Amino acid sequence: MKHRKITYIAQGVAAILLVIASGMKFIGHEHSIAIFEALEMEPNGRYIIAIIELGAAILLLSSYAGVGSVLAVGVMFGAVIAHLTKLGLVVNDDGGLLVGMLLVVFVCAGYVMVSRRREIPMVGGSQR
Amino acid sequence: MKTAIAVNLEKISRMTNIGIVLLLVGSGMTGYFVSFYFHFLTVFFMMLVLLNLHWRHGQTSHALLSNFGLIAQFRYIIESVGPEFRQYLFSSDTEEKPFSRVERAEVYNKAKGMDSSSAFGSLLDFDHAEMKLRHSFYPVDKDAVQPFDVAVGQARGIESVYHIKHPIMISAMSYGALGQNAVRALARGAKRAGAAMNTGEGGYPKYHLMEGCDLIFQMGTAKFGVRHEDGRLDESKLAELAARDEIKMIEIKLSQGAKPGKGGLLPKEKITAEIAELRGVPLGSDVVSPAHHIECTDAESTVEFIGRIQQVGGLPTGIKFCLGRSDEFRELVKEMKRQDTVPDFITVDGAEGGTGAAPKSFMDDVGLPLFKGLPLVDQILREEGVRDRLVLFAAGKLISPGRQMQAFSLGADVAYSARGFLLALGCIQALQCNRNTCPVGITTHRANLEQGLDIEDKAVRVANYIEALHHDYKELLAATGSITSSQLCEDNIYIPIRTVMQRSDEEAS
Repeated sequence: MKHRKITYIAQGVAAILLVIASGMKFIGHEHSIAIFEALEMEPNGRYIIAIIELGAAILLLSSYAGVGSVLAVGVMFGAVIAHLTKLGLVVNDDGGLLVGMLLVVFVCAGYVMVSRRREIPMVGGSQR
Repeated sequence: MKTAIAVNLEKISRMTNIGIVLLLVGSGMTGYFVSFYFHFLTVFFMMLVLLNLHWRHGQTSHALLSNFGLIAQFRYIIESVGPEFRQYLFSSDTEEKPFSRVERAEVYNKAKGMDSSSAFGSLLDFDHAEMKLRHSFYPVDKDAVQPFDVAVGQARGIESVYHIKHPIMISAMSYGALGQNAVRALARGAKRAGAAMNTGEGGYPKYHLMEGCDLIFQMGTAKFGVRHEDGRLDESKLAELAARDEIKMIEIKLSQGAKPGKGGLLPKEKITAEIAELRGVPLGSDVVSPAHHIECTDAESTVEFIGRIQQVGGLPTGIKFCLGRSDEFRELVKEMKRQDTVPDFITVDGAEGGTGAAPKSFMDDVGLPLFKGLPLVDQILREEGVRDRLVLFAAGKLISPGRQMQAFSLGADVAYSARGFLLALGCIQALQCNRNTCPVGITTHRANLEQGLDIEDKAVRVANYIEALHHDYKELLAATGSITSSQLCEDNIYIPIRTVMQRSDEEAS
């Protein structure tokens, strides 16, 4: 029962942060644009990632939270790669705030993914 | 033995496991040097590699995954889609279970009012041990066949005698087992054709009553709808229900073909708030009925209970069971004679019965099949001299007119079918009745699945099916040279015992 509660909290936290992140990208906040210019993905990549983040957030709040967590973890993997290879840990003088948020989403979504692994299609269901 | 194109699973899995790591490295490098977009692939392969590591080193419950990793996962995926592939592509038209495509197609055609004749010979395996109806040298004219009329309760001399006008009735399926649209389509179809329908043991039959067809109220071992909290009969509730115009008969379920010797089972997935209220049960857990009525512990108490229901309900009242031990049944019949309380009808359910959710071993391995149990019941009733005091119903895969005639020849007066009517409603035999995921909206309570089942359209099919079965009944009866089904006897069917014996002789030699 306790696990269930933690799972729901993790889903909520990850979803909220993902919505904020995708919102920043959709409205074209200057920091977002700067990041995607550094990655040479502006503007298409910014919108693609924003859509995936929003989708993951919606799924995390629905009965398909398992699928949503996989998407969220995937996007965060991509973000980690970006920070390690191109961006660095401190972006736009934010003192590492962005990387911190990233890690929070990563941990939350990862927890949801593990605790809901049975609900993930193909991977979880068929081996029961 | 070594063959030229042997599959070396170990080698393939090793290549796969190394391959995805190489792909990960490759996509990572292109992502770094060419375009960041390639990191979409990097992420995908990274997750695949992690998953593969988990399968190979992080879990112990699947030996195949542990030994071979990713490639072994294909086995589970392919296995999970196997039933669909077999049904659509690889199974022949006569070998599917429980109903082959040929058997189902006949019901579909009858339900749609289409021509169900076929050409160029039967598709069945005639060398196999199959029963056949024996026709007469002197068939009667079809118009000479007497209208079907079986009076239930007449022998007891009660006022509320019920006349059954069709050789087929809709067998027990509760609201709960079926969704509301399915129940209403069946009830409307039954009303239109003038046939009777059993409510199943689902408590107050709210949706069955909606369409105004003739109903047989079934009282299961848990007595849903007519019980006190301790599981005993609430006489006032039963009397109240029996007083309704639509309720014509009462059936006391002692056991059921799908799970003889075990109580009914409604999986928690299928229990909505409404069902919980109609049945008087809690939400969120499987509802398991007791294996027997609290009141019925031996022959004496069982017969007393039957008598009590006859008194309280004032309607034709019968019992339903799947035959187990015939000596116990004989004892029960003797007790009926002693107390001078004979049920107005007996429903013999074959062990092949199957609309209920049931543990596999009960479904497969317990109880006598219909064509074994029915003649035994008929014989015992005759030997004890009470056969003419009651009517015999038969249930168990009686979906085609041929099988129904065989049941009539073995002693039945009226046939019951449940799955035949599900097929008429559009069942595609997806075998998910216990999971609330029925793809055609019959055995589910999910609104998005139920919306596909149009009550009016399917009611027409149900009525068509009943009429078509009645039509074929008359034709087949005329072919046997009989004008009423009570003239049929065991001589009217061919039971290929010799074939079976020859086969066992051959096996012995």
